[in-house]
Amino acid sequence: MSFLGPIAGTIWAYVAIGAAVLAIGAYIIKMRRRRFEVPFSQLWQRVLEQKDANALWKQLKRLISLLFVLAILAIVLFAALDPTLGAVDRRARSVVVLFDASASMKTMDGNDKGTESRLDAAKRAAKRLIDGMGGGDLAMIFKVDGQATPQSRFSSDAPMLDKQIDDITASETPADLPRALGAAADALRDRPNPLIVIVSDGAFPESELAQVSWDPTHHDLASIDLGDIDVRYLPVGHRSDNVGIVAFNVRRYIANKAAYEVYIEIQNFGQEPAHRTLTLFNGDSAVLAGDQGRIDLAPGQRVSKVFAKLPIGGDNKLRASLRPVEGPGGTDAFTLDDTAVALLPARKKQKVLMVTEDNLFLEGALLVYENVDPLKVTPAEYDAKPSLADGMDVVIFDDHTPDVIPPSPTSLIYFHPTGPNSPIAIRAGEATNPHITELDETHPVMRWITMSDVYMDRSEVFAPDAKKGESTLAYSVTDSIIAAKRDGRRKILAFGFSLPAGDRTSATDLPMRVAFPMLLVNALDWFAGDQADLLTTYPTGQRVRVPLDGVVGASEAVVRGPDGTLTQTPIIDGLATFYGSRVGYYDLTAKAPDGRELAKIELAANLASASESDIAPSTSLTLGGKKLEAPEAFAITRSKKLWIYLVLLALGLIVTEWVTYHRRITV
Amino acid sequence: MVLPAVSGAFRALKPKDVPRKNRAADRSGLFDERFLKTLEHLHMVSRKVFAGNLRAERRTRKVGSGIEFADHRTYARGDDFRYIDWNLYGRLDKLLLRLFEEEEDLHIYILVDCSDSMSIGQPLPKLHYAMQVAAALTYVGLANLDRVAIVPFGDRIIDRLPPTRGKNRIFRVFQFLRDCEIGGKTELAECMKDFVAQNKRRGLAVVISDFYDPRGFEAGINTLRYHKFEPFVLQVYDLREASPKLHGDLALVDCETGDTREVTVSKSLLEAYEREHEKYCKELEAYCTKYAMPFFRTHTSIPFDELVLRIFRSGGFLR
Repeated sequence: MSFLGPIAGTIWAYVAIGAAVLAIGAYIIKMRRRRFEVPFSQLWQRVLEQKDANALWKQLKRLISLLFVLAILAIVLFAALDPTLGAVDRRARSVVVLFDASASMKTMDGNDKGTESRLDAAKRAAKRLIDGMGGGDLAMIFKVDGQATPQSRFSSDAPMLDKQIDDITASETPADLPRALGAAADALRDRPNPLIVIVSDGAFPESELAQVSWDPTHHDLASIDLGDIDVRYLPVGHRSDNVGIVAFNVRRYIANKAAYEVYIEIQNFGQEPAHRTLTLFNGDSAVLAGDQGRIDLAPGQRVSKVFAKLPIGGDNKLRASLRPVEGPGGTDAFTLDDTAVALLPARKKQKVLMVTEDNLFLEGALLVYENVDPLKVTPAEYDAKPSLADGMDVVIFDDHTPDVIPPSPTSLIYFHPTGPNSPIAIRAGEATNPHITELDETHPVMRWITMSDVYMDRSEVFAPDAKKGESTLAYSVTDSIIAAKRDGRRKILAFGFSLPAGDRTSATDLPMRVAFPMLLVNALDWFAGDQADLLTTYPTGQRVRVPLDGVVGASEAVVRGPDGTLTQTPIIDGLATFYGSRVGYYDLTAKAPDGRELAKIELAANLASASESDIAPSTSLTLGGKKLEAPEAFAITRSKKLWIYLVLLALGLIVTEWVTYHRRITV
Repeated sequence: MVLPAVSGAFRALKPKDVPRKNRAADRSGLFDERFLKTLEHLHMVSRKVFAGNLRAERRTRKVGSGIEFADHRTYARGDDFRYIDWNLYGRLDKLLLRLFEEEEDLHIYILVDCSDSMSIGQPLPKLHYAMQVAAALTYVGLANLDRVAIVPFGDRIIDRLPPTRGKNRIFRVFQFLRDCEIGGKTELAECMKDFVAQNKRRGLAVVISDFYDPRGFEAGINTLRYHKFEPFVLQVYDLREASPKLHGDLALVDCETGDTREVTVSKSLLEAYEREHEKYCKELEAYCTKYAMPFFRTHTSIPFDELVLRIFRSGGFLR
């Protein structure tokens, strides 16, 4: 017999002593009796004198009653020690079950009919494992997907562990085995007879399997030390026929932003030739279908395709879908990788209003960009009728600071703003002969821009306030010369200096530089939310840092997943941490500390993992050069828990005591 | 848990247990119209049963100046010569004096126990029952032109209704019984001593009591016997006294002495008590039988008129 001892020994002892004292005390303390009046107590006296001859038996009966109570108490306290029959302490093991819940476990090969998933088969195998545990064995379940999530603490409660296994659902991410093995090794540290059982289909990259070290003396921070741990592998799954999209990307043309091209990689992981039809959807409308998308794959073949100059529809969502072709080789067991998604920023020609006296530099720079539709008014005309700017995407104020600005979301560019109507506060005193000494190259407007030798004779100096979403893009030593601002949906760019034109006395050679049209194009792209380096498609199961389109002052973001779940993620240095656990589209909303919504960007997540799409199960697993054995050693005699029988015995004694008391036997 | 079923003679005691005494003390409805009719009926029955005895012809055993020859005795110096039986002197040559029974009215003393133990009983306190029986006997006695006195007692002679005669005195009797003080312990021996000291005229002494005297009943009854009274013993008890329905852990309090006894009442204990109660009553009965004293035992569930008739039929009260 062994004792699991769920309660600390000292606590148990204190409780035992306290309960025994209480029980004995209750028998010593006399119960307050009810008083009854009788006419002639002498008669009772005589009767009791006769009864007193049996006083010893009476005392004994009372003692029996006390012994009943003490026996009940002892049994309950004994049960609290959780005594177990049949367990052998020295063989008790600490088991961590690493339960693979990666995307490949969604493969429908749990039974021959294909109605159950590989995950269901893994659950059955894991529960058999748990049900076969010895009496002293303790187990802990880890769910392994892109993360390693413990489902419980170490426990010997098989029904509870079975329930935790039942509650596991498969993710749509690859499995991060090194992370899970590291977590399991940490959990098993200093525990007796540690054992890790990996319940999986073995779909892990070789690079991850090689990270394990079995040598305790090998001190490599990059490797996972499993030197003292027995690791077993329980394989599940049997089908391998799968055709999946392993890469999907889309990009715009720099020159023609009204069109885009798609890159896609598709691989046949099966042993038979496969035939599929690829369909590309922009929103709900197909932009590629029919024979154009017909793909025939030999066993193991991977094809890469680029579909060029695809037209943009009204939606920014792109979806690739593989459909089976009727006939042999048309279906597979894993459907998650038959769909991939991507996002394309919505694009249209921007209406740009220039509020300027004739300025050829400005007009010429805009003419080189075919995605704008420029208009021009003089400052006097604008001041007389500000509604001229209604419906414009961008308004450029050239050396003019109007009293009335167009309503949001029209974005604004100012050259040499002055006075209190400046969009960004202006510090007193101009900078004379400023030189650009520092650029914020992380800002979308300043990409690929060099301004180190740009000449300007003077410039206003801005005083940007980060709390208002204002930031400096170009400094002259410490003076803010170029600044940007996000004001809700409106974006504003302000240059402290004037462009040369007409009779202006200020002078700068910026319009003669290549940087000038680039600045304007970058600014217009920023206003449109279109940035070439803003990736919007990420693989699931990886933690990535996402740039936030020049957002300033955001502290955290809320991510809404494809299934509507909301999660919070921190923003550090203008980058939000993003982890996609499902394939689909995500909304990431950056928020200020006071809860204001600062920006909202869309993201897409794909499985895009060849190792997960390769669903062929591994019958054996080799970790760090060591082939893992199956956990056949789990066939141990089931132990018997005694506490339930003890509780039943205590209940029986309570009933007996109750009956004997009320039948005046133990009174 | 113990759930004693208590009723009647045994009652759960409350902090100030005044209701019992109040109930016994409230005797306003004791002698109502119906009671009077019952008394009249009893009187008629007594006359019918004992037809011919229209007057109080009961004689005392006292030798005195009556006309009914009683006995002879040897002449002593100083005796009246007129009572010397000269005929016997002629035959036996001895001077013998003729003795005559003295004719006088019979004195009936009704001694009613008014101690605390008599206040117990359901549905009627024993005391009320005893008073109704006392009133009934008194009425019959008065109607027979006997002299009837009522003496309530407890730990002392509480009061005394002097011997009276005539039916019309019955209302005075009722009033006395209604108003007399009640309570106290039972001190039978002391009370009987006081009684015989206060009443020189011998007569019938009807003692109505439960006879629950810790010092025993013998001394009290013997006192009456020794002083030439004719004891007539009438024991009243309550059925629930004899067969109490108690259960569990109790503290039994004597209603007179206040003595407390902790008891765990079981079925066997109850049976033992019932046997003991019966034994006590039998002891009293055996004692009375031994000394040829009329004895009646009754419980309060028997209607009092039924008891009185039983007494009449036995012949112990009416002659």
